[in-house]
Amino acid sequence: MKPIVIAKNLTKSYTKGIRALDNVSLTVNQGKVLVVMGPSGSGKSTLIRTFNGLETFDQGEIDILGIKLDCNHNERKIQRIRKRVGMVFQQFNLFPHLSILENITLAPVNVQKRHRSEAEEYGMYLLGQMGIDSHAKKYPSQLSGGEQQRVAIARALALKPELLLFDEPTSALDPERINEVLDAMRRLAKQGMTMIVVTHEIGFAKDVSDQVLFMDSGKVIETSTPDLFFSNAKHDRSRKFLNQLDKN
Amino acid sequence: MFNINSIMIFIQKLRNIFFSNILNTIFSLVIILLISLAFLNTFEWIIFDANWKVVTSNLPLYAFGSFPSNEQWRPATWIISLLLLSIITLFGPEWKWLRQNLLLTWISTIPLGLYLLYGGFGLSPIMSRHWGGLTLTILLTTCSSLFSLPFGIILALCRQSSLPLIRKLSSIYIDVMRAIPLIAVLFFGQLLIPLFLPVGIEIDRVWRSILAFTLFVSAYIAEDIRGGLQAIPNTQIEAANSLGLNQYQIIQFILIPQALRIALPALTNQSIGLFQNTSLMAILGLVELLGVGRSILANPEFIGQYIEVYVWLACVYWLVCTIMAVLGRHLEHRMTMNQANF
Amino acid sequence: MKKRRAIFYQCGICIFVISVIGILINNLTINLIRTDLGFNFSWLFKPASFALAEHPLPYSSSDSYAWALFIGWLNSLKVIISALLLATFLGTLVGFARTGKNSLLGLISAGYITIIRQTPLLLQLMFWYFIGFLGLKENIFIHIKNIFKISNQGIEFYGLTLSSEFSALLFGLGVFTSAYIAEVIRGGILSVPRGQWEAFRSLGLSEQKGLFSIIIPQALPAIIPGLTSQYLNLAKNSTLAIAVGYSDIYAINDTIINQTGRAIECFIILLTSFLLLNLLISNSMEIINKIIIKSRKYN
Repeated sequence: MKPIVIAKNLTKSYTKGIRALDNVSLTVNQGKVLVVMGPSGSGKSTLIRTFNGLETFDQGEIDILGIKLDCNHNERKIQRIRKRVGMVFQQFNLFPHLSILENITLAPVNVQKRHRSEAEEYGMYLLGQMGIDSHAKKYPSQLSGGEQQRVAIARALALKPELLLFDEPTSALDPERINEVLDAMRRLAKQGMTMIVVTHEIGFAKDVSDQVLFMDSGKVIETSTPDLFFSNAKHDRSRKFLNQLDKN
Repeated sequence: MFNINSIMIFIQKLRNIFFSNILNTIFSLVIILLISLAFLNTFEWIIFDANWKVVTSNLPLYAFGSFPSNEQWRPATWIISLLLLSIITLFGPEWKWLRQNLLLTWISTIPLGLYLLYGGFGLSPIMSRHWGGLTLTILLTTCSSLFSLPFGIILALCRQSSLPLIRKLSSIYIDVMRAIPLIAVLFFGQLLIPLFLPVGIEIDRVWRSILAFTLFVSAYIAEDIRGGLQAIPNTQIEAANSLGLNQYQIIQFILIPQALRIALPALTNQSIGLFQNTSLMAILGLVELLGVGRSILANPEFIGQYIEVYVWLACVYWLVCTIMAVLGRHLEHRMTMNQANF
Repeated sequence: MKKRRAIFYQCGICIFVISVIGILINNLTINLIRTDLGFNFSWLFKPASFALAEHPLPYSSSDSYAWALFIGWLNSLKVIISALLLATFLGTLVGFARTGKNSLLGLISAGYITIIRQTPLLLQLMFWYFIGFLGLKENIFIHIKNIFKISNQGIEFYGLTLSSEFSALLFGLGVFTSAYIAEVIRGGILSVPRGQWEAFRSLGLSEQKGLFSIIIPQALPAIIPGLTSQYLNLAKNSTLAIAVGYSDIYAINDTIINQTGRAIECFIILLTSFLLLNLLISNSMEIINKIIIKSRKYN
């Protein structure tokens, strides 16, 4: 099994004394899906954002796809990582002034220097996969939230990434729109995509993930398989959190 | 569709607005009376009292200044092509190839205008001191806007730069330029630009004023664009970063297009302001539209006919400004409709 | 790594800017030597030998250039402050009319705003001067019992005489700026959420009472910055005084340059005068802003 992400002892604090990340270590192997859960402010977003250099860290090291990052923010290495790692945000963050297809082809054409026609063809294929190829000529504001998020996934896939990061991809969606995004993510997992997903969706975690990581106050409280975690969590805080989620 | 019901509703609405209570009724009646009096007087003056010969017999002068009369078809062609282009932009068909090429066509009108005015390549050359009237006003406006936009964008980007020295330099430039009155910039532009040039190199009056306008307006444009840049959420940059775009690509593909869209209403106002302000060159030795008016008033044949000339000039300025404002709003509307072209 | 590159870029820019300035200054000195002028300020204390039609302090043509410049600065200040008051008064009226319930008034003020804003200020100034004041047919146009007179000599009010140049500038600047101020005020009033109007109406407050005690206090924070920038514009626009022959700071600089040819020195003087004026206006507005914020305890 080839490890894609190895993080060792990551520590970060925004303000002195309060740790957003506290000695976090984890490994994700190729083709596996890691779900990160935890209450808000637990540091799970910070964690996932360090994996493509959107956040720096103070101590520890990360190895992503064989590229090693330490606390000295090396722009060139981060650039190399970003070309091979895709990211999907909570608020979609599509570019409002570009059409759907242009959103998708921007990076392949300008970062990977692929031919426009080839990039467009692949973009249309991805939109087809996401079931939104009929919207290719539209602009983000003309689409629903769920459709926008599927475009964002297609945009991340357009660089043919070896790892996909999802930062609460369904939290900003209307309840009836959540499943269309989760289904797309399920299909990706089936195709063998390596994914790290920050989410509160228990159903998705149960079905798809290979590993669940629970965080609180910057620390990893517990790592286990989804079966074990949801039926018989070891830790008090995990159980409390799951109870809370069930109530909602 | 002639519907008595809707007319009744309309009358009811009018009554509600103007005559809802006694005070309002008296007020409305007084205003209506005053307006009709003013209109009546104005119409009487326009039709009977005013002597429009000062306008009608000098129309070519207002349009082209002292451009040689047998060559006046050249500036006329330019102005008519600008007008046609405005009409096509506003009311033209929605053909895709047309809309995609409109921006380029608009920009290419400037070299076209310069060629038609200067001559050469088959046209007889004409010195810039013969340029004048509305033609010169439009030339000053279009050239200065074209040059100050990129300069303003660069200044705005520098003011947002992470390098303190560059940030400081551009903010000093912007703040100083915005503190000085335009007429001082133009006047000293005429006086000082020759002093700063090496001996033997000279720029004529028109280009000196275009340069001065560019230096001045770009500081204002820079602030408008900076407002646009600041309005772009940081998440846009994060998203672009996560796609592996580098700093320059982010500026080119993400920041500038969005900042321009956000700043568009302010930029329209800047260019309308610029068009009005070209009139300052009338007291600095160029015979543009207002300058033509002044020189006509100095002519013994028309002396003292201030009202006719100024009312006529005000109408021309108002018309062009309104066309510019409508074009700006059209573009804004297009952009909120999320269409990338004109 | 990143830091080193940043320093490298900044050094590059620094060298570029310095060399451009160097080339310009080099050209300038060559040209100044050629025209035999040099660069100094000692001429400031020589007699100006030109007369000024208007001077708030004693002035004669034997006074120094420096004194003439100071008089010009005072003249500028005088017209700026009075036009500022007029513009604020007119602008507030038009702004309220534009937002008010009476659509007839709204229509008139909209017309006023478009006509004023879509024509050049210089043209308007000439209009006021040549038609509004110099163009008056009879010697005395309005004459009310020695209290108020308008003629082609200007305005006379209780022994206070305003020259026609000053009056034209005052009305031109005041009316022009009022159209912009009206838009600022309208924007400010529109920035107050609609719910606030509904709230005071539902409490049974009258329109006027609600406007002045509920809406305007909330609109002020949005209005003050816009007002400040309009005042700064007015100050800059006051330099168009030269078109009607009023001796403000710019007009006097212009005269001095014509007499002595000292363009660079005059440019520096004008720049400093305007930086001073701008500071004066923006600081006073800052103080007003603070007073307003202080008076609103909940902020």
